[in-house]
Amino acid sequence: MNKLAKLIKGEIKRLVRYKILPVSLATTALWIGLFLFVSAAEARQIAPLVIFVDVAAMSVLLLGASHHLEKQDGTIRTMMVMPVPLGQILTAKTVASMVLALESTVVTAVALYVIHGITLDYAALLLFVVVAGAAHAAIGFALSLNSKDFNSMLGLLMVYMFVFTIPSILFSFGIVDAKYEWLFMISPSHSAHHLIASAVREDYQLGMVFGGCLYLAVLAALLFKFAVYPKFKSNAARG
Amino acid sequence: MQTAFSVKDLQFRYPSSGADVIKGVTFDVREGEIFGLLGPSGAGKSTTQKILVKLLENYRGSIKYFGQDLKDMNHSFYEEIGVGFEVPVHFTKLTALENMQYFAGFYRRTANIQELMERVGLWEYRNMKVGEYSKGMKVRLNFVRAMLNNPRVLFLDEVTNGLDPKNARIIKDMIGEYRDRGGTVFLTTHLMNDVEQLCDRVAFCVGGRLAEISTPRDLKLKYGKREVKVEYRDNGALASAVFPLDGIGFNEEFQNLLRTAEIETIHTGETTMEEIFIIVTGVELNEQAGQAD
Repeated sequence: MNKLAKLIKGEIKRLVRYKILPVSLATTALWIGLFLFVSAAEARQIAPLVIFVDVAAMSVLLLGASHHLEKQDGTIRTMMVMPVPLGQILTAKTVASMVLALESTVVTAVALYVIHGITLDYAALLLFVVVAGAAHAAIGFALSLNSKDFNSMLGLLMVYMFVFTIPSILFSFGIVDAKYEWLFMISPSHSAHHLIASAVREDYQLGMVFGGCLYLAVLAALLFKFAVYPKFKSNAARG
Repeated sequence: MQTAFSVKDLQFRYPSSGADVIKGVTFDVREGEIFGLLGPSGAGKSTTQKILVKLLENYRGSIKYFGQDLKDMNHSFYEEIGVGFEVPVHFTKLTALENMQYFAGFYRRTANIQELMERVGLWEYRNMKVGEYSKGMKVRLNFVRAMLNNPRVLFLDEVTNGLDPKNARIIKDMIGEYRDRGGTVFLTTHLMNDVEQLCDRVAFCVGGRLAEISTPRDLKLKYGKREVKVEYRDNGALASAVFPLDGIGFNEEFQNLLRTAEIETIHTGETTMEEIFIIVTGVELNEQAGQAD
C-alpha cells in the first residue's frame, strides 16, 4: 500500500474512532427522517439543501473538530517529521472530509429512492459533491488553521456562514429574485448549492454550472496553495 | 568518524519576531556521540532543534547533514532521523500498538515494535488506548516512537522528564546502547542528571548564542576548584580541611591527616553540571524547569 493510501486509511479509521463519522451518519439520519413526512415533490425540493448542508457546513465543522483533536493530541507535529510529503497529508485529510460529504450524499440519494422512488443525476452529483467538498475542505482548513481551538473555529465558521451560507439558504427559499443569482455565485456556499440542486433536480444552466465548478476548483487550489499549505507547516512547527 | 551535523553561523528569526532568536550559532555534532544542547527557556535550543529536523526553514547560515546541505534534503531525510518530542504525540483514541503500527507503516525499514515496547515495559499495555496512559507511559511511548525507524540520528527533547528513576534508567540505558551501536543523539534537556550520565559533549545556549561547548568532564574541571576537601572526626566532632590539588602527593599536612585522622569523606572540588549551568547561563534551574523553550 502506498503512503497516500495508508494516510487515507488512517484518517478514515480515526474518523470512526473519534466518533466523527458516526456523528455525521446520525445527522444525516435525522435529515432522512424528514423525507418520511413529505411528498416526493417536496423531498426533491428539500434534498439539495440536505446534501448542501452536509457538504458545505457539516464537513467544515467535522474537519475542524478533527483538526483540533489532532492538534490537542500533538500528532500533527509528529506527522511532519515523518517521511511523508505534506501535500499527501493534506490530500488524505481532504479525501477523509469528502468521505463525510459522499457518505451523506449516498445515504440521502438511497433514502430518496427507497422512500419516494426519486432518481437523481448520480454522476453529475458525484462530480459536484467532490468539487464542492474540496473547496469546503480548503475553507475548513483555513478556518481551523487560523483558530486557536475548536470554540474559536466555531466562531469563525459562524461568521463565514453568516456572510456566505445564510444568504444562499434564503435564496433557495425564494426570498431573493432568481435573476440576481449570478451575484450569489461569488459565495462558495451558493456555488456549491447551485451545483448540487442542478444535479438533484436534473435542471442545468450550463453557464452557471460550468462557472460554479471552475470557481470552486480554482478557489480550492488557491486556498490550499497559499492559505493552507504554508500555515499548516508553520502551525506544526509552533506546536 | 563523520560529522552528522555541521552548523555554521546559524541565524533565525520568526516571521512574527522583530529580532533573531538564533544569533550566529556554530557547532558540530559528531557521528556516534550524544550531544546535549542545554540552556534556559527561550535561549533558542528548541528552535535550533526544530531547524535541524526541518520543521523550521528560512534560516541563515549553513547546516550540513553528513556533508549534504540540509536545505537540499527532501522528506526522505525523515527516513534517517527519529524525533522524540517532549509532549506526547499520539492519537489518544487509538491503542499504543495501533499508533506504533500506523507510524511504522511509513518507513522503509523499521525496528521490532514488540522488542522496543517490551524493553520500556509497555508491551503488556499495547492494547490500551493512549488516552488512558499515564504521563510516564506516554513519555516511554514517545521514545519508542522516536526509535521506530532505527534512526541514524536521534533527536530527544526532555526524554526522561516525568519518568520514575527506574524507567528513566531503562531509557538512558537504551540511549547509551544506541550510541554504542554507532547512533548519534542530539539531546535537549534541563535535567542535569541526564546530561552527566549521557552526554559526550554539551553546548550551553544563552540568548540565541552558544556560551560554552565542551565535554562534561572538561567543563567540571574548568569551572571547579582545584582542591581536595577532607571531612574527618576530631575528638568525635566533624571537622573538615581543604588542600590545593596541585602537589597533593607531596602535601605533608594532607598526608598526615590521612594517616592520623578518622576520615569520613574525601572530595575533589570539581563542580556539578547544575552549578555550571547556573554559572554559564545565569539562570537557576528551578526558575526554568517548568517552562517550555
